[in-house]
Amino acid sequence: MADSPGRPDGTDDEDQDVLIGEEPGASVHPMLATEDSYEELDYDLNIEAPITEQRERLASGTIASIVEEHTGPASAEEVGTEATELENDVERSSLEGDLSNLQISEEVTQRRADTVPDRQDVPNDTDEEVLQNREAGQREIKDEDIHSSVWRDHKKHVFILSEAGKPIYSRYGNEDKLVSLMGVMQALISFVQDGKNNLRSIVAGGRTFVFLVRPPLILVAVCRTHESQQQLLLQLTYVYNQVLSVLTYSQLSRVLETRKNYDLRRLLGGTEKFLDNLLNLIDQDPSFLLTAVRCLPLDSTVRDTIGHSIQSAKIKDLVFAILIADNQLVTLCRMKKYILHPADLHLVFNLLNASTSFQAADSWIPICLPKFDSAGFLHAHISYLDNSKACLLLLTVDKMMFFELAKCKEKIVEKLKKHHCIEAINRAVAGGGYRCLEVGISDLRHFIYKSKSTAQFTAPELEAPYREKEERARLFNMYQYVHQRVHNAARPLKIMFHVGSREAMLGWVTTGFELYAVFGPLATKQVAILAVNKLLKWIKKEEYRLFILDPPEF
Amino acid sequence: MSGSRVDLKVVLLGKEYGGKTSLVERYLHDRFHGDVPYQNTIGAAFGAKKIEVDSRTVTMGIWDTAGSERYEAMSRIYYRGAKAAIVCYDLTDGTSFDRAKFWVEELKRNEEFCKIYLSGNKFDLVENDKSRRQVDYHSVTDYAEELKAEVFETSSKTGHQIKELFFKIAQDYVKEPRNNDAAPEVPKTLNLTDKPKKADCAC
Ligand SMILES: Nc1nc2c(ncn2[C@@H]2O[C@H](COP(=O)(O)OP(=O)(O)OP(=O)(O)O)[C@@H](O)[C@H]2O)c(=O)[nH]1
Ligand SMILES: [Mg+2]
Repeated sequence: MADSPGRPDGTDDEDQDVLIGEEPGASVHPMLATEDSYEELDYDLNIEAPITEQRERLASGTIASIVEEHTGPASAEEVGTEATELENDVERSSLEGDLSNLQISEEVTQRRADTVPDRQDVPNDTDEEVLQNREAGQREIKDEDIHSSVWRDHKKHVFILSEAGKPIYSRYGNEDKLVSLMGVMQALISFVQDGKNNLRSIVAGGRTFVFLVRPPLILVAVCRTHESQQQLLLQLTYVYNQVLSVLTYSQLSRVLETRKNYDLRRLLGGTEKFLDNLLNLIDQDPSFLLTAVRCLPLDSTVRDTIGHSIQSAKIKDLVFAILIADNQLVTLCRMKKYILHPADLHLVFNLLNASTSFQAADSWIPICLPKFDSAGFLHAHISYLDNSKACLLLLTVDKMMFFELAKCKEKIVEKLKKHHCIEAINRAVAGGGYRCLEVGISDLRHFIYKSKSTAQFTAPELEAPYREKEERARLFNMYQYVHQRVHNAARPLKIMFHVGSREAMLGWVTTGFELYAVFGPLATKQVAILAVNKLLKWIKKEEYRLFILDPPEF
Repeated sequence: MSGSRVDLKVVLLGKEYGGKTSLVERYLHDRFHGDVPYQNTIGAAFGAKKIEVDSRTVTMGIWDTAGSERYEAMSRIYYRGAKAAIVCYDLTDGTSFDRAKFWVEELKRNEEFCKIYLSGNKFDLVENDKSRRQVDYHSVTDYAEELKAEVFETSSKTGHQIKELFFKIAQDYVKEPRNNDAAPEVPKTLNLTDKPKKADCAC
């Protein structure tokens, strides 16, 4: 790390950034794909991305693109107008019942500005969040009355429908009852597409509507949150990936091609809970926002021993061995040739997070990791090691390999036990990460640091007041807000200092890292900048504990 | 760790929500989680257990498959080479028996040496309230007779007939000459540690 990493106030030379490759958590041996989905999405928004390319983009390991053809800022204006016109049509038609549920009205339809102007603080609609989390446990949300205000007032609705307008999934309420609403959405999209435009988003009635067309599916988010269009599109992309992970793109497209009106829910039966869970994670876990993976802080010698234990159990056709504890990555061992995309790993985390059935017995499941290959399944041997919190996934391409992998797992467990690694993992999980206090910066309340070259991030545990659900949600909203500002495609900022009523946040993006740090409301930019320089030094010192820098390979 | 081998591969098939996982849970761990919400199986789960029959120890490897239609295409992975199949249906759900018939056909086509055991699950629900029964016992036994299949009506909640079902499977296995005089192949080892679920077999 450079001795004085410059004053990141946007006026200095870029050269004064921390030297690339020297920033904390940098590694030349990435085990994860490092292209940032968010930035790519930004890029995709500004180029022509023909539908035909979509498939290759998925399978070849690059972020799947926005399918719609390009609409630049100018034509987006047109989209806005057209959407308004369409609405008038719709208004006249008998579908207004459903539409008015979402309170689209002519007067308020306009394209939303890129940023929320002069917002002093991120809004706090937190009771809602609590409600959402409770509801997520089971799908009793299915029974929700779609004409009630409770349903209408959810902060973020997500719908999946087929291109033919058939309902497939609704985050809240029974999608069966939403047939006409989904029909409207489908009509909106095809109307705009006919005009050689693509509908990406509209703002109406205090809500943002974002559309992602991924043939043969259409995904829609309707939000009262202040997330940006890109952030929401990225989230819809994750949802789409989740669908692919249970079906594969090949199966999905085959089924809907042969039978346009096929009820996809027959094939997706039982996976709603994964979609529900994913959406809840997206609303609280920075991994998705950052397209990065969080590692379990662990003594580097322990991590190395674990890596070696896994390596030594290598067998033919084992592509990835992933050890996860408490939603954090312990280690990832991969076949030299292959690299995993964080977005795929998120699906794995979501799988474990959403189901307790893996704890009961060793499982053998097909899973499609769309960034790895959207056309087919990998097969995963999943087992919790020795009744601990550590879950091992062994992924292969050979569906007949269960018993070889079971044996492989036994070997790994034996080694891990011999070196007391499972205890070490349990201890690390029980310890709940590290505290912000350890950094030794008095006014620093929390931070998130992402090392771009490894697609990994680190953050201290949340402490008071952020242990409260509402406060945690508020903090997360603020992270989202600063993230969206520093990544704004039109006016990207290298650094941003945001002062709210209860805290101040510094966001700093360089070629090597992204850093977001939270201070008390009285902190000045100068103080914050000095502090983050100190923080970077601390992360550098701890980097072997916080990141996986020498990932094992088979 | 004791070394052993899986001799008998058993697979459970049947409509989702039919009670397969609960059946295996009861047999392997003697428990029933009536209060936790239903968790559909994803792919399949594997467990193993030793059972004594006629002074012989047989190690069963049990595959609990997912009932969801999504996995139908790859169900062969799970039943291939099985010596016994427990085809499950839910006594309170008529359509689950149609699904059971589907699996029976599938097995007859692909696994000629796999013996079929029909298991009508959730017996406790129909035991005291006859009106909830949607699958008639005698029509099942008539159907089974043609197949030379066995029929059990079980309850994972009470444990009714579950040990009997698995014992019968082991017994039939031991009695079957084909399973006895076959020259022992390379004995593969099985690690049965504290829990009878980690196993390894040739199949
Ligand atoms: N009363 C009663 N309920 C049962 C019994 N067996 C299962 N259930 C309930 O039925 C539901 C489904 O049971 P599972 O064992 O998970 O069904 P499954 O066949 O494994 O389902 P899939 O994994 O989706 O194929 C659960 O809510 C169980 O609690 C039983 O014997 N009696
Ligand atoms: Mg099950």
